[in-house]
Amino acid sequence: MAGILDVPKPRINCSMLSRFINRAVCFVGRVEKVHPSGKMFTVVDGESKTATVELNEPLEEELSGVVEVIGMVSNKGDIMASTYNTLREDRGVPFDLELYNEALKVIHDFPQHYPFQVAASG
Amino acid sequence: MMSDGRHTLSSFMLSTQLNYMAEENILVPNCVCLLKRQVTNMLKDGRRVVIILEIQVLKPAEEVGGKIGDPTPYSDGKYSPTFQYVSSQIIFFLLVPLTVNRNLNRDFMKKVPSALPDTPGGGSKVVPIASLNPYQSKWTIRARVTNKSSIRTWSNARGEGKLFSMEMVDESGEIRVTGFNQEVDKFFSLIEVGKVYYVSRGSLKIANKQYTSVKNDYEMTLNGESTVIPCEDSCDVPMVQCDFVSIGDLENREKDAIVDVIGVCRSVDEVTKLTTKSNREVSKRTLSLMDMSGKLVNVTLWGEEAEKFDGSGQPIVAIKGAKLSDYGGRSLSASFSSTMMINPDIPEAYKLRGWFDKEGHALEGQSLTEVRGGSGNYMENWKTLADVKSEHLGHGDKADYYSCIATIVFLRKENCLYQACPSQDCNKKVIDQQNGMFRCEKCDKEFPNFKYRLILSANIADYGDNQWVTCFQESAEAILGQNAAYLGQLKDSNESAFDEIFQHANFNTFVFRNRVKLETYNDESRIKATVMDVKPVDHREYSKRLIMNIRKLGAK
Repeated sequence: MAGILDVPKPRINCSMLSRFINRAVCFVGRVEKVHPSGKMFTVVDGESKTATVELNEPLEEELSGVVEVIGMVSNKGDIMASTYNTLREDRGVPFDLELYNEALKVIHDFPQHYPFQVAASG
Repeated sequence: MMSDGRHTLSSFMLSTQLNYMAEENILVPNCVCLLKRQVTNMLKDGRRVVIILEIQVLKPAEEVGGKIGDPTPYSDGKYSPTFQYVSSQIIFFLLVPLTVNRNLNRDFMKKVPSALPDTPGGGSKVVPIASLNPYQSKWTIRARVTNKSSIRTWSNARGEGKLFSMEMVDESGEIRVTGFNQEVDKFFSLIEVGKVYYVSRGSLKIANKQYTSVKNDYEMTLNGESTVIPCEDSCDVPMVQCDFVSIGDLENREKDAIVDVIGVCRSVDEVTKLTTKSNREVSKRTLSLMDMSGKLVNVTLWGEEAEKFDGSGQPIVAIKGAKLSDYGGRSLSASFSSTMMINPDIPEAYKLRGWFDKEGHALEGQSLTEVRGGSGNYMENWKTLADVKSEHLGHGDKADYYSCIATIVFLRKENCLYQACPSQDCNKKVIDQQNGMFRCEKCDKEFPNFKYRLILSANIADYGDNQWVTCFQESAEAILGQNAAYLGQLKDSNESAFDEIFQHANFNTFVFRNRVKLETYNDESRIKATVMDVKPVDHREYSKRLIMNIRKLGAK
């Protein structure tokens, strides 16, 4: 877990999964279905594509809404989650997943302005 | 008398120009001919007469050798009204010599029109609107009324009168039609917008383009001989003829031009009432229209149209004959002669709907109408604080207005409150008489009390620059999160609580709508910026705008 926190975690969507195999990423999507075992669930991104998230420990409570998952992309294109958090949508402003996707595209279209590097200290 | 092998009809007449065919024995009994062009007139007694305009002999009589078939006389009663729209090429056999009508034909033609009944199509063939001209008088058009004005009366030195006008459209084009005096009585109540009518024998003249945007060199006036007959079969007559101008193009048009526009209604204001110079109260409503050019324009509706307008669901609105004005740059007004259609059943509307649902809804759009004084329309003129300085906003004759997203970095709490006249509409600073009374010079009265009002000086900043601004009552209260009266009380009683309010208000980010103007005091000119309105940041709108700007920059 500690290892993943020190590394840059580019935000991606489903169509970018294949480019980030074996790398740490940050994936934001809406929970679609939770596997009965609680160790896996599917998420839908802003382009309506689906990805699978696998957890180390089974979920303790019901998961729904928009989540942000940090983890490694497996060879199969699934996300092996290290940690996740739910984005609250009950505070009045709903999370616009399509708009987030547009922003994602901007980040990846202009890497010279959005470099994924650990900022050098000092 | 002619026969088609099955029936005979003796009501055929040669038009005058074809008289030679009879005279020169080209048309001889028993010859087979092809009737190429004819006009069918119906007499008052129900009989039909066919006037032959063009006829061709296919087989001369000698080769035919006698009567073909055993035709029986055709009784007119069996005819259906749509008969004449069937192919005009009918083969007939000439059975008896056609009467050579010289003047007879002319008289006939004269008689028939006056005996014209009120049945559809009786009289002349239906011609397209595009073919109407002042040099032909015997025509009928079949068209839909797209717009009908109310009856207007006038009274001048020459007398008085009344008129109404309407616009009609068919597959070929459109035309403006006016009726005066007696024609108003005859036709006004009969005509309904949206319905299709046969109109004939109006007079045509060159159109006065000043009053209409209808695309036709001519316009029609109904006269004593004109007829207007409802048409039942109207499905193929188009609903409307519009030549839409892209909103982005409106900048290139002259003011006062009359244009047709179509767009998505992005936003609509509440209906307001205002009083005209003649002391009439009239309703008004402004809506914002956007199309695929990405530009927005404000459209003003009046009267009943304004009151009834429902902009929910961001409908497609099409306006024919809107007036372009240079108010606020460019804006449109729906006049009494404009026609507004909501979600019209035309291809342009579907195209717009599709575009809007896919990409248009995310577009911020740039408005051609600069709203003055922050009427809550935040859709235009976004600037960064650095832009405001580099573009020298406010340096012109008139004040400039802009919107920006900025963070409060300093609030001056000293002297932010003043004692104002307690009268309802007066905010003038009162003078403390030191005897418990406060005097207002403007109202010329003394009061035992006052009301606290805010004038807050603040410095706001964004990534590029900062700006000193003045916030008055409403915007100051919004920033501080407290009303002036409470603040005044706190200042006098609990100074630390008062300070805390300012601490709390600092470093908040808002959308500011500001007014800048160059002001001169004693040879010194300074830019004064006033906050007209303060709103919390709508992150979605902001994000969309940023993404759009980035994409625009990226495309360059």
